[in-house]
Amino acid sequence: MITDDLIARLAVEPPKPALRPALMALVIGAAIVGPVALFLGVLGVRPDLALAWFNPVVPFKTLLPLLTCSLSALLLVRLSRPEARLGLAPAAYLVPGLAALALWIGAFLLRQPAGRFAEVGVKSLAECLGGILLLSIVPALVALRVLRQGASTNPALSAALAGFTAASGAATGYSLFCTRDNPLFFVTWYGAAILIGTLITAWAGRRVLSW
Amino acid sequence: MQQTEDTWATLLKAANAGDGQSYAQFLHAVTPVVRGIVRARGRSLPPDQHEDIVQDVLLGLHLKRHTWAQDHPVRPWVYAIARYKVVDAYRKRGAAIHLPIEDFSESLPALADADPLTARDDAREVARLIGHLDPRSAEIVRAVELREESQASVGARLQMTPANLRVTLHRAIKRLSAVGRKDDE
Repeated sequence: MITDDLIARLAVEPPKPALRPALMALVIGAAIVGPVALFLGVLGVRPDLALAWFNPVVPFKTLLPLLTCSLSALLLVRLSRPEARLGLAPAAYLVPGLAALALWIGAFLLRQPAGRFAEVGVKSLAECLGGILLLSIVPALVALRVLRQGASTNPALSAALAGFTAASGAATGYSLFCTRDNPLFFVTWYGAAILIGTLITAWAGRRVLSW
Repeated sequence: MQQTEDTWATLLKAANAGDGQSYAQFLHAVTPVVRGIVRARGRSLPPDQHEDIVQDVLLGLHLKRHTWAQDHPVRPWVYAIARYKVVDAYRKRGAAIHLPIEDFSESLPALADADPLTARDDAREVARLIGHLDPRSAEIVRAVELREESQASVGARLQMTPANLRVTLHRAIKRLSAVGRKDDE
């Protein structure tokens, strides 16, 4: 086809409404909160939640994934414009990353060898990994759907961030239900669940976000 | 520079508000620049494919025109899309496909069965063989090998460049030979 003909044909098509990044973030946020609210509504938050938060370690279980989730959502939405560059912004992940590492090392040093990995078992892992991954499905799908309206020039990174946002959001919600407060458990296994969710979404979403 | 920026931005702003004429002007205004980018970055692709890529970029700009924020500069937005689509074109076409096949006609291994279709007169058998191909390749084989249409007319009909057509045909014939050989074994 001659390029001039193509232009003539494109010019008569009506424009789409402008991209609204704030709205995109809101929709993704709602897709995280919805399943979590349903989950906590049915199974309930842990009975001793208020008491547990007196232990200074326990709030990190919720706050660290919340921080990574918010950060990823911001980066994700920013990347939906083709000319966007992340620059040094990802360095902010060092804050939750180093805090998690410090918690893990601290707990490892403070605990008796026998108590370090006592909670690790088939049931606890299935519950933790399964719960977080299950809660990630809806937000990951919604995030990919929403991002298709944008134009990321790095679809693999955008898809990975979609998975990261969804899984860390899910972990935030799940942490209000989970009663295992040993950082060696939650840092490791929440981290693993978030990593798995990120990898799966990156792998599956790369093509979805190509254009 | 600043003037281009202002002109493009004004046109695209009007276009995104629904003014088709401004939109056509915008696309016409960016086309030479896009062509330059494609020419500069697409050196290893044959020139006859450059215009295809230019059109890919224009389509990309069109599909994503709502992702330009009116308070952002428009040139980086155009360049980012052009870069993305050119890289994409490379990946899709893969440099190897674009080496014109006639340069290699001497060195290509002779097909074991020079024309896998000649040995099989039975029309049903031929149809079955061709059924192993994807629809586009099948149509090319039918048109060029069976109906003996000229490659140029088939290319024009299927909107394929001559190079692309030759390569597709070559691969299809190779695939047919492979299928035919497997049948014979």
